[in-house]
Amino acid sequence: MTARGVDMRKAPTDRLQEWSKKGHRTVQGDTLVMLAADYPDMVVISADLTPTARLTDFRETYPDRFFDVGIAEQNLIDFTVGLALEGLRPFAVGLAGIVPMRPAEQMRAALGYMNANATVIGIEAGVRFGPLGNTHYAMDDIAVVRAIPNFTVICPSDPLSTHKALYACAEHEGPVYVRLTGGPGYPVMYPEDFDFQIGRAIEYRPGSDVAFVSSGSLLADAVGAADILEGKGISARVVDMHTVKPLDTEMLDRVFAENKLVVTVEEHSSIGGLGGAVAEYKAGFADAPKQLIASLGDKFQKLGDHTFLMKLNGLTAPDLAALAEANV
Amino acid sequence: MANKKTVDLVEEKAALMRRDVIEMGYAAGGRGAHFGPALSSIEIVAGLFFGIMNHDPKNPTMADRDRFVQSKGHACLAYYAALTETGYITREQMYTFKGDNSFLAGHPTRNMKYGIEVTSGSLGNGFAVACGMAKAAKIKSDDHKVYCLVGDGECNEGIIWEAAMNAAKYELDNLIAIVDRNGVQLAGTTKDIMDVDIEALWRAAGWDVVVVEGGNDASSVLEALQGMRDSSSGKPHVIIANTTKGKGISFMEGSLGWHARPMPQEFYEQAVAELENA
Ligand SMILES: Cc1ncc(C[n+]2csc(CCOP(=O)(O)OP(=O)(O)O)c2C)c(N)n1
Repeated sequence: MTARGVDMRKAPTDRLQEWSKKGHRTVQGDTLVMLAADYPDMVVISADLTPTARLTDFRETYPDRFFDVGIAEQNLIDFTVGLALEGLRPFAVGLAGIVPMRPAEQMRAALGYMNANATVIGIEAGVRFGPLGNTHYAMDDIAVVRAIPNFTVICPSDPLSTHKALYACAEHEGPVYVRLTGGPGYPVMYPEDFDFQIGRAIEYRPGSDVAFVSSGSLLADAVGAADILEGKGISARVVDMHTVKPLDTEMLDRVFAENKLVVTVEEHSSIGGLGGAVAEYKAGFADAPKQLIASLGDKFQKLGDHTFLMKLNGLTAPDLAALAEANV
Repeated sequence: MANKKTVDLVEEKAALMRRDVIEMGYAAGGRGAHFGPALSSIEIVAGLFFGIMNHDPKNPTMADRDRFVQSKGHACLAYYAALTETGYITREQMYTFKGDNSFLAGHPTRNMKYGIEVTSGSLGNGFAVACGMAKAAKIKSDDHKVYCLVGDGECNEGIIWEAAMNAAKYELDNLIAIVDRNGVQLAGTTKDIMDVDIEALWRAAGWDVVVVEGGNDASSVLEALQGMRDSSSGKPHVIIANTTKGKGISFMEGSLGWHARPMPQEFYEQAVAELENA
């Protein structure tokens, strides 16, 4: 029980609707409380972000295992590494728009290079922060972290996969960056218990013409696009590539062999994200299918709320379906 | 002593700006706004725009204008209110705050057509950029000043101190930083989050430091700003202004809950009533 009287150990599947209504911040905040009960060495570090990152319950429940370094993101990472090197299991939580970038060098020189066992969680990734503007968008975080050796990069697609991803992080050796997308009311894609393994993509639905390979909460839109295409007689496979690094190359081998067009889908820059990772792998194939990168492009965004920005960037289900239809 | 006419003008404009902050934030609806951070800095920003800075809303790129950098960018409502009351932007434009396609984002975004000098929002960076601008003025033998508004929580950032040491090294006495010491940051009070003696830190970094007890009193703020503006001590200047987060709206004063949030109608009505009866 937490200070607020909520039973955090309740089965995650019972909480799915509630979590999805409240968005990914709540899912990760609640999950960290659950994890703390199972992992006595687990600690949480934040940088003056407790209410924003829904860490108030954690702070109240485990005051001795919660540390606030102040508004100091470089220190957030190095302090976390120090804890990790001494055998604690730290989870550092920050804004995705600030944390992998501001301390990028700490992420490389300390966390990556020393291969420390620590997880960095970036909340409100992509352009979730809409009206707050480009300083608060995370459009380049996958690119930056993916280029650092030893790092694992996970972009869960819904509440249950976020929960499971964080549990997987607690067992993982080496640094992980967990990138969270999906605002309040985001779709529940996995209503039942399922097997989540780092680096093992999930074939969300089979299909032979197009393959949507997506990361993060845009999985729902990729599935929506596949529905639209089905109505037009075009068969679309949907793959949840929740781990962007390491890529599930076995899954990609199947996609390249069996589909005529690959559309990667992500709320990230067109450079260096999932699209980039898939293209890098595909470069070794003589006859792989054409790939299109559905993304935020290579630009600072206009100002607007999330829905507006998704439309502007062609990332809604109808946009994705039209893109695939025109190219298959 | 600050001249009485200027004090009266700044007080009058500060009242209008408080109202603008509430109107913009309310109009943003569910998108919410950073009310508390803007309201604590109103007298500082009004003092700069109406009593201290040499600037011309008709000519935002005037070469010898004083520069204003709002490093605590989340308090942009105070900045936008000043831009409205001085005439850089229209009231109609003001109401586009946080709207789709607006140029008035939740953090200032450089736009020289409308007097927005530096993009901020990632805390700490605006201040370090302001130091570069002050050095540029020195290099070019320009006489204008650079004013920079910094948060007390923002002073947690390492870049603040890297830049502060650098500014002292280059003897940037044309740079005036104002720390809005409202004592509350995002997750708690400044005392809870990082309890440090910032006066001692600024001094140790080589700055001229003055503390203003009445950071929400126009006369005190103007007097401190004038003193720093007219001093050429060879050191950069910082005014540590003791303010109240959410100043002017009873239920926001000193409150963590009004750092950033949407404003429901009943709160809006109460806020407006309080401002009208002030
Ligand atoms: C680099 C960076 N880290 C974190 C944030 C999130 N953030 C926005 S405002 C804020 C608190 C600022 O406190 P303070 O500087 O005291 O300003 P106040 O709100 O009190 O005016 C935080 C942590 C940010 N905008 N930039």
